[in-house]
Amino acid sequence: MNRISHALICLRSHALRHIHLLGLLAALLLAMPGSARAAVADIISLLQTITSTLQNGIGTALTGIKTVNNDAMNLQQQVLWPLSAINQVRASGSAIKNHYQGLFAKAARIPLTSATLANPSQLEAALRSASSGNLNQVQGAYTRVYGQVPTATNAPIMDRNMMDMDDAAAAASLKSTVISDQNSGRILARADSLEAQAIASVPGSAPLLTAQAQAANLANQAYLAKMLAADLRLEATKLAHDNAIRKKSAASTGTLRQQLQQVLTHP
Amino acid sequence: MKKRLLTYAKKLYGSKLATTSIVALIVAALIPSRAYSQLGLDPCCAIISAGLNTISGLLKNAVAAPLASIQQIQQQTATFEQKVIYPLAAINQAKSLAVQFQNEFVQMRQISQLNVQSATLPIPQGLEQKLLSRNLGAIPQISVAYSAVYGKVMPSTDAPPDVRDLVDATDAEAQAAMKMAVQIDALADLELQAAEQINQQLQTAAPGSAPILEAQAAAWLVRANAYTQSAMAELVRVRSIELANHGAQLKFSTAHTVTLHDKTNQILERSR
Repeated sequence: MNRISHALICLRSHALRHIHLLGLLAALLLAMPGSARAAVADIISLLQTITSTLQNGIGTALTGIKTVNNDAMNLQQQVLWPLSAINQVRASGSAIKNHYQGLFAKAARIPLTSATLANPSQLEAALRSASSGNLNQVQGAYTRVYGQVPTATNAPIMDRNMMDMDDAAAAASLKSTVISDQNSGRILARADSLEAQAIASVPGSAPLLTAQAQAANLANQAYLAKMLAADLRLEATKLAHDNAIRKKSAASTGTLRQQLQQVLTHP
Repeated sequence: MKKRLLTYAKKLYGSKLATTSIVALIVAALIPSRAYSQLGLDPCCAIISAGLNTISGLLKNAVAAPLASIQQIQQQTATFEQKVIYPLAAINQAKSLAVQFQNEFVQMRQISQLNVQSATLPIPQGLEQKLLSRNLGAIPQISVAYSAVYGKVMPSTDAPPDVRDLVDATDAEAQAAMKMAVQIDALADLELQAAEQINQQLQTAAPGSAPILEAQAAAWLVRANAYTQSAMAELVRVRSIELANHGAQLKFSTAHTVTLHDKTNQILERSR
């Protein structure tokens, strides 16, 4: 409503400003011969149309566009991305990083090893090395601590198979933990890089970093799933082992019963 | 009345309209009609000239001024977007981080696929190979390899039905957990491949397309969480069966004790 009344006021002031022009045109029209008056009237009509179009059509539209642009700019600079808010978030991110990074580093430095004898210490060191290059050392140290499968002359085949399977499942899971530790370290380093980059980022580059973090999160979830798979194998092997003992016990009981029956039948 | 007429005459005399009109009439009266073209003072030219001047004034005020203002606003907006929201240097830096991560993705995947097999006897080797294969095609072969290592359910002559049931249920769960482990390993490999591909796309992405990749990664993450939940459920089942076996073992022992007690009583009564 305000805009319409403003436009009317403008129109009125323009009309008053150019009233002397209209007077001139009227005077010239009176002074001219009748045949020329029709052509001049057409020109005046055309000029009036152009003037009206410039004032009302183009001028009003441009003023409207200017208002819209101005509103959009204000929205961007004052509501969506105010520089003060961006700088405040960066400063806050930097403070969080500095505060927690030290605590995390301190926690990671706490030693977890506690073995006292040579062979267990070697096994423990290999297990906590977080280096896949030490997988062979894990296997060697494991065998030195837990021994090898007895020879065929010293144990029945089923027992040997089970012992071998138990050892294999345990060693594989232990090696998986070494691999997992190594990958965890890399993912942690990546998280640090992403955080540092996020603090220095701008609203336009932040989505790229967020997407990278999501991709890293997906990889992390995959490694977590692999650890769960290792745990499943371990638990399943343990369950199978216990069950095999039951089977063995039943078989032994059956054999004992048969032998007792034989003894009782043939005293 | 006289006063009002005088005032009106004064206004008329002072107004631009009157002045202009009088001047125009005098000029028109003085110029002979045949001399229009000779003197270059054709009234049409004057009208056009005056009209064009008006148009020029309007173009300056009503068109050029708002356009200049619009240009200034748009320039400010563009500068703000280029320097604050989307500076090219920051965007390129974020992309270069994705390039660095790509190598790490590959290295981590290769490490996770290192051989961790260690069984020494042929039959356990067969089972271990299938368990660590990360191959869905190996799942149907697990039951045979499992039975080769851990044996089958004992015959009915060797154990009572409740013991055989327990053993069978336990074998079933152990095998299911082993199969699930292979499945989870295979799916984790696929998730790692997807993560690598998404990260690769990010190397050439733009701020406008990055949210799409983020949404895609988030969808994969939801899927990965669902599989992790499945694995957790299987783990809970394995542990539950283990606990149930311990409970059943206690029940069997109680039943055996009762039977032993009854039979001892019977023997003692006979001996009396």
